[in-house]
Amino acid sequence: MGKKAIPGVEWVPGTGDFIKIVEESCNGCGDCVKVCLAKCFGLRQEKAYVKSLDNCFECAACWFICSENAIEFSWPKGGTGFRTEFG
Amino acid sequence: MEKYDVIVIGAGFGGPVAAKKCADAGLRTLIVERSQMPGEKVVSGTYIPAQGFMLGPTWIREGNPPLERAAYGVKIHFIKGGEIYLSLGMTLPTPIAYGAYCRPMCTWLAEQAVKAGAELKTSTTAADVIKEGDYIKGIVTDEGEELRSEVLIDSEGLQNLLAIKAGIRKKYIPEAIELCLEYDFEMASADIEDIFAHHIEFHFAMPEEKIIAPLGQGSVVYLFPYRNSLHTCIGQFLKHEGKVVDTSKLIETYYENYFNTRRWKEVIGPKAKLRAKMWDTCPLYVGLFPEMHEMARCGNGIILIGDAAGFEDTASGAGIPNAWYSADLAADVAIEAVKAEDTSAAFLQKYDELWMAHPAILPSITYSGRRNLLKAQQDESLMVRLAWEQYFGPLSNAVPALSQMKPEDLAAFLPRV
Ligand SMILES: Cc1cc2nc3c(=O)[nH]c(=O)nc-3n(C[C@H](O)[C@H](O)[C@H](O)COP(=O)(O)OP(=O)(O)OC[C@H]3O[C@@H](n4cnc5c(N)ncnc54)[C@H](O)[C@@H]3O)c2cc1C
Ligand code: SF4
Ligand code: SF4
Repeated sequence: MGKKAIPGVEWVPGTGDFIKIVEESCNGCGDCVKVCLAKCFGLRQEKAYVKSLDNCFECAACWFICSENAIEFSWPKGGTGFRTEFG
Repeated sequence: MEKYDVIVIGAGFGGPVAAKKCADAGLRTLIVERSQMPGEKVVSGTYIPAQGFMLGPTWIREGNPPLERAAYGVKIHFIKGGEIYLSLGMTLPTPIAYGAYCRPMCTWLAEQAVKAGAELKTSTTAADVIKEGDYIKGIVTDEGEELRSEVLIDSEGLQNLLAIKAGIRKKYIPEAIELCLEYDFEMASADIEDIFAHHIEFHFAMPEEKIIAPLGQGSVVYLFPYRNSLHTCIGQFLKHEGKVVDTSKLIETYYENYFNTRRWKEVIGPKAKLRAKMWDTCPLYVGLFPEMHEMARCGNGIILIGDAAGFEDTASGAGIPNAWYSADLAADVAIEAVKAEDTSAAFLQKYDELWMAHPAILPSITYSGRRNLLKAQQDESLMVRLAWEQYFGPLSNAVPALSQMKPEDLAAFLPRV
């Protein structure tokens, strides 16, 4: 099972790269970094990159905030990603 | 290739309700859900306003759903200097809302649909829609399987990935998206009763306290006590007045400061043991922005319900009741459409007439009181009054007939917990 960095939640591996940055469209504004509670993104050479999706809640805040449509957001493969019994 | 009359996307709060009605009417119905168990990817409040049980399908209130606890009232606390300086409370003789965890509740809803004859496919993501000419004719799963439908009832939630692919919606603007961070604490039931009695709580604070987002820019702090546990939530919009908000940092700061208030440190905190932390986005104000309110809610072969259709509840936080009402109405139209062998947008638009005529949906998504809260920042007395109206106004306005009933008669419209 996935990482236990956050209590009460389990991450099932095998999600695939369900969030991707389209480098040509990214303007390096850092808004995705600002909104992500899981710290999934970093910036290098004025472009965003996905550091890790290990603690991602699939909330899509990053996708909603990106004004350049530089984030490709899809769902993880069925049956993978985060699970919780306390939502 | 499998062929269904109706395919429902999502076994969250809305999907199973639509599926049950379609299956009851004898339609070949499939629910597709991306999680392993229904509801385990749904992060919600969760207190379901009583109106959902009163106006929603009767089988929910009569079927003994797995509800945690009934709340008979609300307490509103105003915080200043880390202390509560004003409390308002209201208690009614019958419950105003019911607490529930999403996994058991959505699993139960999905079970009722399955008992009615619907099929449920879990661990399956609907990755795309099948388009034939101008019609949506089903979905393609993440395994590449094609599943065909006459009508697709889409209860995907606020991200709306399929409806965007179908070409009938755009993504919501970030001004209408709130990021909500929730904690779940274990707490002895005796402590719950001691501290909260039969209330749920909302906490307001002036902006300088940095405990909640300034009014109108996010939700108040809410405390939802359950049987043996407590849920807390703080939310903040992603964007406000053209500026991207430092959302994640702010939310963490709000929590830090909230956990430093005297009541939390001395009364609640010592009895509460952290069990889970989670977050999700939540649509609010969707009904107030014309460009979003006016987006389509159906197309050829597809009907949207719940959050996917923009039926968030800007007024009183009744997203779940709205998902139930819209599911029920969408199913009625889908059943007629399949029988009439006409699944055109022109036929399915009957759905628009139905939801607009519903007593609770339209008022709840177009209520403008929330917007006035922005002005209340400069004036405490206005803030108190507006906060009060926001939470109690809509509850009693939504269903005047029911709100005038005697408590003993009202009980017939409510579940027993
Ligand atoms: C923090 C928070 C607090 C809230 N508090 C309350 C409250 O107290 N009371 C209240 O009434 N409302 C509350 N709401 C709102 C309420 O949760 C929603 O309005 C309600 O869940 C909407 O139901 P739905 O069926 O539209 O979507 P959901 O319940 O979100 O269901 C969507 C389902 O579809 C599945 N899915 C999505 N895409 C796909 C796909 N492509 N393929 C397969 N499956 C898919 C998901 O896994 C999920 O199970 C809250 C929301 C949030 C975020
Ligand atoms: S928000 Fe979009 S444009 Fe800005 S850094 Fe992130 S990916 Fe790039
Ligand atoms: S979906 Fe949410 S948690 Fe995941 S990377 Fe985007 S903002 Fe972060």
